[in-house]
Amino acid sequence: MAFYEQHIHPKPTTFISKYIFSFDHKVIGKQFLWYGILGLGLGGIMALMIRWALAFPGEAFPLIGQFMFPETGGVIPPDTYAMLFTMHGTIMIFYAITPILIGAFGNFCIPLMIGARDMAFPLMNMLSFHLAVLSAALLVISLFVPLGAAASGWTAYPTLSTLIGSPGTGQTFWAVAIFVLGISSTMGAINYITTVITLRAPGMGYFDMPLTVWGLWLTAILNAIFLPVLGAGGLLLVFDRVFGTQFFLAGAAATSGTGDPVLFQHVFWIFGHPEVYILILPAWGMVSDILSFFSRKPAFGAKATALSMTSITILSTLVYGHHMYTTQLSPLLTQTFMTLTMTISIPSAIFFANWLGTLWKGSIRFDTPMLFSLGVVFVFGLGGLTGLYLGTVTTDLYLHDTYFVVGHFHYTMAASVLFGSFAAIYFWMPKMFGKMLNETWGKIHFWLTMLGLNGVFFGMLFIGYAGMHRRLYDPFVYEFLQHLVPINTFITWSAILMGLTQIIFVVNFVHAVFWGKDETDPNPWKVGTLEWTIPSPAPNYNFDKIPVVKCGPHELGNPNLTTGRDFQYQTEELVEA
Amino acid sequence: MSRVATLDSAELEGRRLASSIAMTVVLVSFSMLFASLFLGYAYYRITSPVWPPMGMSKVDLYFPTLSTFAILLSSLSFVIFKTKYLGGGSAKKTLPWLGLTIFLGLGFMFTQFSLWADLSGKGFYASSGVFQSLVYAFTWIHAAHIVMAILALVWLVPTTLKNECTITEENKVNNIGKFWHFLGVIWLLMYFIIFVI
Repeated sequence: MAFYEQHIHPKPTTFISKYIFSFDHKVIGKQFLWYGILGLGLGGIMALMIRWALAFPGEAFPLIGQFMFPETGGVIPPDTYAMLFTMHGTIMIFYAITPILIGAFGNFCIPLMIGARDMAFPLMNMLSFHLAVLSAALLVISLFVPLGAAASGWTAYPTLSTLIGSPGTGQTFWAVAIFVLGISSTMGAINYITTVITLRAPGMGYFDMPLTVWGLWLTAILNAIFLPVLGAGGLLLVFDRVFGTQFFLAGAAATSGTGDPVLFQHVFWIFGHPEVYILILPAWGMVSDILSFFSRKPAFGAKATALSMTSITILSTLVYGHHMYTTQLSPLLTQTFMTLTMTISIPSAIFFANWLGTLWKGSIRFDTPMLFSLGVVFVFGLGGLTGLYLGTVTTDLYLHDTYFVVGHFHYTMAASVLFGSFAAIYFWMPKMFGKMLNETWGKIHFWLTMLGLNGVFFGMLFIGYAGMHRRLYDPFVYEFLQHLVPINTFITWSAILMGLTQIIFVVNFVHAVFWGKDETDPNPWKVGTLEWTIPSPAPNYNFDKIPVVKCGPHELGNPNLTTGRDFQYQTEELVEA
Repeated sequence: MSRVATLDSAELEGRRLASSIAMTVVLVSFSMLFASLFLGYAYYRITSPVWPPMGMSKVDLYFPTLSTFAILLSSLSFVIFKTKYLGGGSAKKTLPWLGLTIFLGLGFMFTQFSLWADLSGKGFYASSGVFQSLVYAFTWIHAAHIVMAILALVWLVPTTLKNECTITEENKVNNIGKFWHFLGVIWLLMYFIIFVI
């Protein structure tokens, strides 16, 4: 094994060395967590504005509308609406979910769970966060430039995103911001991959790693391979906009050769489809672990879960064409992509069945992290099933670009990943900050979010099936959509419920971090992975003495244990069940 | 060679391995960036009935060929530098070869600027059509990486002068070398795919 022990450096003392130029993976994780929560807030408010415009067209947005759009008396104007859905998607994907799941929990969990003192390259880790801040700054600047922010959707399809569709500099800022963020994430990915390969504690084989680490590691591999593809697409888009190249200009074929907007779609989705799995794999990993921990049972078929996540990682690179069935791909290609897409159902079904197998006959504890993990099982199930309709060419031709798509990808990418993030925050809170979040408010937070979230996204499936297209400023100018006003109003009220519920979480979180009671038990959830063998919050350089791993991460509920506990630490010799 | 003795062999091996794994991932990432560009090129080329499209003439091979020689010789010179440096050679023996590498790298940039000046002198602009866009975008992106790599080579000068080769210096020289050779290989691909055929 390629193991080596890292040196212990002295603890940083000044504020700047501790919180701004920190090499410590735990501090960088916390920085990413705050960054991501801010992103969630911003993206969430934008979502509410979008929903408001759809449910109450022509009415002023409450509270902040008057200040933001004084020229229309508080009503969201059409061009702003396009900017809102663009920035909502961009912020939620790249500046909220990515930093929380991959930035925060990737940084925090990987070294702790594999028994390392820090990442393999701490300096690069710090630079990765600084670049992420730079990228966020560019994105925020883009909101205030003349002619406004990017407005071509988070997919930035040409010709919407070329100078013809978006003459302002906002779109250029958007592309540069995404490019910089891509560099930041790639640096993180290089770190994660190397750390997992070289710094696992002695005795820890790949299948002794918790599934969380598996998920994060596979995500890092996809990130390292596919973010540069988006980078290339973004660069060419910037060249088109700034230097007048003609890669994506529609009509260029007629005048000067073969410029083609569809090429961007290919490049975007070669990245974009793995990106879906980049976001969901860490959540899958965490949920697989948490379901086992709170069912007090070994994870059913943990090895099969890890392997099916790996096969999904590989398959995810071969299916991007299912986003482009309506771009006149040849039927040979669409059918190939459809078949490959359907193949993903097999490994997905395997680990989904494993989740259910883990729960089966477990003595389940319904703590908040467990509730959120069960929430992931539910919403991801729905998201996965609705995906079948979109992966099939015949049904996709009808459903393409409708709210059915919006509902589907929110169930998979937003709902599952958001629930996964919350599960992780509630679960690792004691190890991160040494405080517990309030359980009662946590449960209220879960149930109200679950209610609101399903109201929103299930409603979207209905209106999409009824033919309502996405990205329309006022769909009800079309007669055939007018009967959908009530259900749109219902979706918006659900969204408002979900939005307001997050205030509970923010108050709970901020209160716990700054004024919460210290959690004295280093292992409040009674689980055996390595991070729970050390005090809370995790000390500088984590492990005084690097642990030696002797068994897997899910050794729970073994009746032959004589220690008086129902679980065993990974550092203990395996007791046969 | 002073610090090497104080590190135990596991840490030495571990740091060497970590550095090599990380550099492999870095090169995979950069390969994907250039692979996407080549994909774009293939897409345009395959969908166009004639190439270059719309009666455009091909680029004159004079400057690209000079660039090719410059970058190949610089890679060769770096190999000699690396062999001497890791073999424990003194700064007096190694520095000229590093200097030659940097000089040839700058020579490559000079031929690139000459190429761009030559092309725009002939009315061949990035905005003239997609073939021109491709030539410029490829060379711009590659040249930007070359500039970064030359800065990294210059960063090796104080390392060489220090005359002490621990695992840190060894990894640095190896990784910068890999990146430099990588850019050479990319240039060769570009030379044949965009300029020659």
